[in-house]
Amino acid sequence: MSATQGEHEQYLGGSLRDGLPSLVAAAHELKAPLALIRQLSLSLEDYTFGADEQKKMLRQISLTSESALRLTSDLTRSVRLSNALFKLEPINPQQLCEDVVHELTPFFAAHDCRVKLQHRKHPLLLIANRDLLRRIIMNFSDNALHYTDDNATVEIQIKSLSGGRIVRLGVRDFGPALSINVLNSLQSKLMDASTIIHARPQSSGLGLYISGQFADAMNGEIGIQRHRNGSTFFVDLQASNQLSLI
Amino acid sequence: MNDATILVIEDDNWLSQQYSRILSAAGYEVEIASNALAAIELIDEINPDALILDVLLTGSTAFALLHELQSYSDTGSIPIVVCTNLANELKLEDLKPYGVKRILDKTTMVPDDLVVSMRSVLS
Repeated sequence: MSATQGEHEQYLGGSLRDGLPSLVAAAHELKAPLALIRQLSLSLEDYTFGADEQKKMLRQISLTSESALRLTSDLTRSVRLSNALFKLEPINPQQLCEDVVHELTPFFAAHDCRVKLQHRKHPLLLIANRDLLRRIIMNFSDNALHYTDDNATVEIQIKSLSGGRIVRLGVRDFGPALSINVLNSLQSKLMDASTIIHARPQSSGLGLYISGQFADAMNGEIGIQRHRNGSTFFVDLQASNQLSLI
Repeated sequence: MNDATILVIEDDNWLSQQYSRILSAAGYEVEIASNALAAIELIDEINPDALILDVLLTGSTAFALLHELQSYSDTGSIPIVVCTNLANELKLEDLKPYGVKRILDKTTMVPDDLVVSMRSVLS
């Protein structure tokens, strides 16, 4: 644990190993983007807007669709986890996170936010499946965007822990901090994904559950670190000792 | 033109922008709050004529806000239209004591429903 004073850190591992996300939770999670796409489309049909506004609305439709498609793709991957073989290999997390930042920049810009990678001087290697790790970071970033105020920056961080044995990839948002109550409710929701509809976070419940499944498949663990001005969702993975061999 | 000011309480920025487009086109003044705390501050500041309220909000649910609003006589009388994906799970009768006049289902409503609802609750 590396939480500093005034911060609270919590692993979300145990409850994530039981069961698959329910159809109800998945269906609910997809309601929000579909409802937004529908509202925007109907408005474009029935109302007259200026060219710039039309362009903005069309952009929102395409980006919302992409976000929803990412979720469906993650769900499919999550359901097939148990009978699939995953190639775990040494990965440079910096490179992977740079790709994620590049991919998410337009989405964040459309929300008047930014996403950036905190660069490291010394490279690290970790053991993971590239596709699953990318999905986890995308999920955390989506979640961070939801909690981030306009014009704020979401930061992807890479840290070495436990004397270099663990590499932590975190996504730090600078929105309102999650209260202990919300944190506890998140924890209990994760134990029963079917109850997601009774509480918040539309963007963190199922996404977090899936991220936990992916981390588990790579012998890793996800968790939350609360700060006074936001939260960091992180995944801890085993470091590769390839570098030390060199 | 309407003189009424509507406060939209919705944590999806693009959806709140969408509501604002439609209501502004109908002549309403629109303000947006993305969470319950910001909503309470704005209600004190702008004294809105009506609220459009999402149920699942970042940080707390709309029900905490409804309770808070009912604690004060001035805010307790503001008409509220709940706009939610959970419409099937809510009963208007249960929410009427909290000033909720209508429930709109985000998944089936059309943009004009917002304007129709506002006209209805403000008439």
